Amino acid sequence: MTQVLDGVQRSTFPVKLFITAGIVFLIFFILPFLVGVFQTALISKLLLFGALAISLDLVWGFTGILSFAHGVFFTLGGYAMAYYLKLNLSSTNNNYGVELPDFMVWNGLEQLPWFIAPLKFFPIAILAMVLVPAVFAYIIGWFIFRSKVSGVYITIITLAISSALTTLFISQQAYTGGTNGITDVAVLTLLGIEITDINLYWVILIFTTLVLAGSLWLTRSNLGLILRSINENERRISYLGYDVASFKIFIWTLSAAIAGIAGGLFVPLNRFISPVYLAVAFGTQVVIWVAIGGRGTLFGPLIAALLLGQVQNYAERVTQDWQLIVGILLLVVVLFLPKGLMGLVPRINPDRLLMPSPNPSAGYVQARLLDWFTPLQGAFRTVQEWLIRGKRRH
Amino acid sequence: MLDFGLIQAHTLYLAQDATATAEASGGIDFYTFANQLLNGIGIVGVLLLTGLGLAITFGVMRIINLAHGEFIMLGAYVTFLMQSAFQMDLLLTIPFAFLGTALVGAVTELTVIRRLYGRPLETLLATWGLSIVIQGVVKLIFSAQLKYVKSPPYISGNLLLMTRQDGTPLVSISYYRLFIIAIALLMLGITLYLLYKTPLGRQVRAVAQNRDMAKCLGVNTSLIDLLTFAYGCGLAGIAGAVISSLKSVSPPMGQDYLVDAWMVVVTGGVDKLIGVLAGSFLIGESNAAIAYILNDPVARVMVLAAVIVLIRYRPEGLFTVQKRA
Repeated sequence: MTQVLDGVQRSTFPVKLFITAGIVFLIFFILPFLVGVFQTALISKLLLFGALAISLDLVWGFTGILSFAHGVFFTLGGYAMAYYLKLNLSSTNNNYGVELPDFMVWNGLEQLPWFIAPLKFFPIAILAMVLVPAVFAYIIGWFIFRSKVSGVYITIITLAISSALTTLFISQQAYTGGTNGITDVAVLTLLGIEITDINLYWVILIFTTLVLAGSLWLTRSNLGLILRSINENERRISYLGYDVASFKIFIWTLSAAIAGIAGGLFVPLNRFISPVYLAVAFGTQVVIWVAIGGRGTLFGPLIAALLLGQVQNYAERVTQDWQLIVGILLLVVVLFLPKGLMGLVPRINPDRLLMPSPNPSAGYVQARLLDWFTPLQGAFRTVQEWLIRGKRRH
Repeated sequence: MLDFGLIQAHTLYLAQDATATAEASGGIDFYTFANQLLNGIGIVGVLLLTGLGLAITFGVMRIINLAHGEFIMLGAYVTFLMQSAFQMDLLLTIPFAFLGTALVGAVTELTVIRRLYGRPLETLLATWGLSIVIQGVVKLIFSAQLKYVKSPPYISGNLLLMTRQDGTPLVSISYYRLFIIAIALLMLGITLYLLYKTPLGRQVRAVAQNRDMAKCLGVNTSLIDLLTFAYGCGLAGIAGAVISSLKSVSPPMGQDYLVDAWMVVVTGGVDKLIGVLAGSFLIGESNAAIAYILNDPVARVMVLAAVIVLIRYRPEGLFTVQKRA
């Protein structure tokens, strides 16, 4: 019996996938030694964008909630970290020789606002980085998902949030640094050690790997199954007794928290944060990574973020109309490739390695097998009944 | 490294908005507040014009058109083109703006919307992609520079409602804002007439109520969809033509109106078109009032928060009659 179980375990344990993943991780791990400083910084940034795309994929690809506000969650986490780094700039490094950040001095603030002051302490900043986007998302989610409106409303609300917050952050110059955002932040130091770019790269790599692995685990658990069922047929899953709204709020909040952490890691790397990342254009960018990579694949959005980011980096030197190309790409993907680029390469689709693939031909084979077994089942039952009757006779 | 060229222009445009209201702040006194509320009337007109087209496409076809803002922008560019090429009066360009955008809308329906029917999220995404493409193409053709449209001289100036004894104006409203609200109400009237008094309108309402049943009774639903979408886009074009002289014309100009128009549609509901009027009145005036007491960006956030709360408790909009399913 144990032998059989061992065999089953061995056959379902995705050895190949783990070896491949390990090799890819190792390649990424030694990448900073192979490419230049510029590429290291670029890839760190793209890995963070990849994590952001994965967080959107959790809500969009799996649960069917399309959001343009993931840039907002990202930026909220980013601002938390940026305040921390800005407030820990030593007063000699600060342009005005005072504790107050330069943009507050310019705008005539005399002292730190009470809601920014606690961010001077690292644990509080870290907590804020996760909690501010998460709580914000929770509040919105509570209002929208508990309502009986269709899923498209949340998308419009996220659009509105993105555009309204952009205006708000630009207008509140004294508190947010206006259009420029928070610039010239301190280098991140942990326990007295300055985190160099290469160390930051590794931190980011580990973060993105954890996000990917965690999301893979989550979506393959029972919870993931429920989320996918919500996407497929919301009404039916609620008739089965599941509280759909709670599940949606949970995944929505979790996704915002991941986006917030990604934003927090982005600031020490980028050295500034600005309302550009709040704006609808950046939210759209995230949506495009997921759409082009393939919804509900997790790997797809990550790969798309990495590749498109690289392409964009070079394309923008050549052409001014990158946005137009992206728009055309998005239209083509929506109209002709609803599964994204991952839909084109089913062979390396990791879904197949981990669980029975949902493609129709497999279902067909199973149905045929069941058909084939049905008469046997009948025969089996007859034998069983005959045996039971035999026992009664005794 | 990431260049959000479009959004920078967009935020610039927003910033202009913000400074415009900042100077109005100060002590609360009756006359400026009254002026602000009357300015709100102008906003109501714009919201009504932009929301009307959205409400029709959403109400009949149940599709979310995220490219609506771009149709507004196209209408504004048609007006700009007509004016710079033929020195045409703004009023005369309105039919061209309607026809031009309706044509683009019809092509969009045939090539994009029709293929994604019954999949609201996909439609939403496709129209969003379309909006990026339209913005990009317009930017290619006309460049990202701001363009200016002249308003006709006979509707410039202000209507003085209250003056001081020496004749300096206390409370006034510009004729142009009155003109906007007049056009908006006219379009609302025409739309209501088309919907409720013509055979075609009856078919449109039938499709809105029960698409399959309408189809069974011989209504050409795909033609109705085409006409509805084109008409909705045409209304956006009219909105664009009228707005064009209020502010400058630029590729990202539509984006802002899109979000506001959606707020109106969500508030008012799409069951009755009067809901759009009520919704735009509510949103426009509360925006103006809060913007007067605090400032414009805060007003936007507060109105948005109110709409989110509204969705929780009245998901079908404020002005929809409760129906039994």
